[in-house]
Amino acid sequence: MIRRAARRVALFFVALALVATVWEVYKALGPEKGGSILGFPVLPRTNDRAMPHTWDMVARLFDPEVRGDPTPIWQAVLGYSWYTFRMALVGLLIGTVFGMSLAVLMARFRVVERGLLPYVIASQTVPLIALAPQVATLGGNWGLPRWMWVAALGAFLAFFPVSVATLKGLSSSPPASLELMDSYATGWWRTTAKLRFPAAVPYIVPGLKLAATAAVIGVIVSEISTGVRGVGFAALTYGQRATSDPPQVWTAVFGAALLGLTMFGLVVALEAIVMRKRPREMET
Amino acid sequence: MSSDASASAKPQAAAAVRVDSVSMVFNAGNVNQVDALSEIDMSVAAGEFVSLIGPSGCGKSTLLRLVANLLAPTSGHVVVNGKTASQARLDQDYGMAFQQSGLFEWRSVQKNIELPLEVKGWDRARRRERSREMLELVQLSEFADHMPWQLSGGMQQRVAIARALASHPPLLLMDEPFGALDEMTREHMQAELLRICSAADTTVVFVTHSIPEAVYLSDRVVVMSPRPGRITDIVAVDLGGTRDEDTREAGVFFEKITQVREGLRGTGLGDGQRGIEDR
Repeated sequence: MIRRAARRVALFFVALALVATVWEVYKALGPEKGGSILGFPVLPRTNDRAMPHTWDMVARLFDPEVRGDPTPIWQAVLGYSWYTFRMALVGLLIGTVFGMSLAVLMARFRVVERGLLPYVIASQTVPLIALAPQVATLGGNWGLPRWMWVAALGAFLAFFPVSVATLKGLSSSPPASLELMDSYATGWWRTTAKLRFPAAVPYIVPGLKLAATAAVIGVIVSEISTGVRGVGFAALTYGQRATSDPPQVWTAVFGAALLGLTMFGLVVALEAIVMRKRPREMET
Repeated sequence: MSSDASASAKPQAAAAVRVDSVSMVFNAGNVNQVDALSEIDMSVAAGEFVSLIGPSGCGKSTLLRLVANLLAPTSGHVVVNGKTASQARLDQDYGMAFQQSGLFEWRSVQKNIELPLEVKGWDRARRRERSREMLELVQLSEFADHMPWQLSGGMQQRVAIARALASHPPLLLMDEPFGALDEMTREHMQAELLRICSAADTTVVFVTHSIPEAVYLSDRVVVMSPRPGRITDIVAVDLGGTRDEDTREAGVFFEKITQVREGLRGTGLGDGQRGIEDR
């Protein structure tokens, strides 16, 4: 168990080193001003503005955010990321509760499923960048604090995978088990509490993994279009200084990546807890 | 001869199950209409062990599900414990076990056995006491906290039987519960089932497609034929005294097996019927 965890951590750093190596090799060999293949401009520029050296990015973490500030930028980025993390976590929680409730209603009432499912699917094709300012205005009218509507937009992306996975899971109980509950004369809700929902858990967990990353994306995109100062907003402002300070934007990218990994890690930890007594699938 | 329908090991007892001219038609009026059961009459006395045997598609599982009120008959009546089948289901008057043990993989062995008691609203202490008692009965006390998937197939089936009997129902309905087990485990489980049911004085209706299994377990074997499902013969099995491993080698055991086999041949399909095991 511990050895496997150690191997995973080691693999993570090997992969990271590999990515950095590919980056530097391309930077050394690739065309300075970008290049085209068959007329398509697909090769990125390799100059320091577009592709700073990896060591410059890392070194930039220990310089201040703005000149004269005594604290290094990694502290500022970590602060932004922590703020975004909390909003994404709230979004994931709201999205999970909402998504599961919706799935239970759809499983219980076929009418709800038929009536609602098209809207549920359509909701995911609405461009968030357009929706965010609208929701922000709405939230402002209701006097809600700004972080709350950003979290709500995270929930807007997170609920969908949870909902679809739960709906699938709720209809995947073994027929013999349903017959058994039937022989106890239990009603639908009771059968769901004792059988359908526990049987759905192995389906819900992968849905939660998708939802965790979706919540992060939702919050970061919404920050950009509403001006809430999390790591997404930091990435935007740092990006605007790319001419004078190219590595700076990458510190925000590191922060966002760390945040995404943490969210995903939380769900993996949750999976280990809820699945600890279940039969193990063949592990690869 | 053997087809004396009134023959019963305990004729004096009241009927635990009565089936009156029951017919079952699936997809009535469609091209795929199936006459699953036709004019079935059957009575099972309290404390009696009755097996339903017949080739695949003879409606024996359907008949069991009608008794369990998991299906409603197209015509006719089913009476369980002197009540309508649906009332008996609401009162949890029977326990049920299937070919697949159907244990909930997220519940420990003990929690699986407590499931019907939870549904009945028993408090924790009472549930615990009863599940301990049932685990002792099926001789799995030391596995109370194991998860079902950590147990062998035979042990899982024993847990399923303990679950079916946990609320001490007067009637046990079983649908090929040993069908997925190997022959050794199967014979062991048959002896176990007889021991458990006589200890709890339970009436059993048992669906099987194994002739020796039916003969070894039953007071009476109900022989059925397919399309439409009918009862063609009822073989009373009096093996005299307690049934143990010696029973399987006694002459009367083989006589009864022959009798049931002949009953099955009489169903008009001749030899080589599908779904019947001679072993």
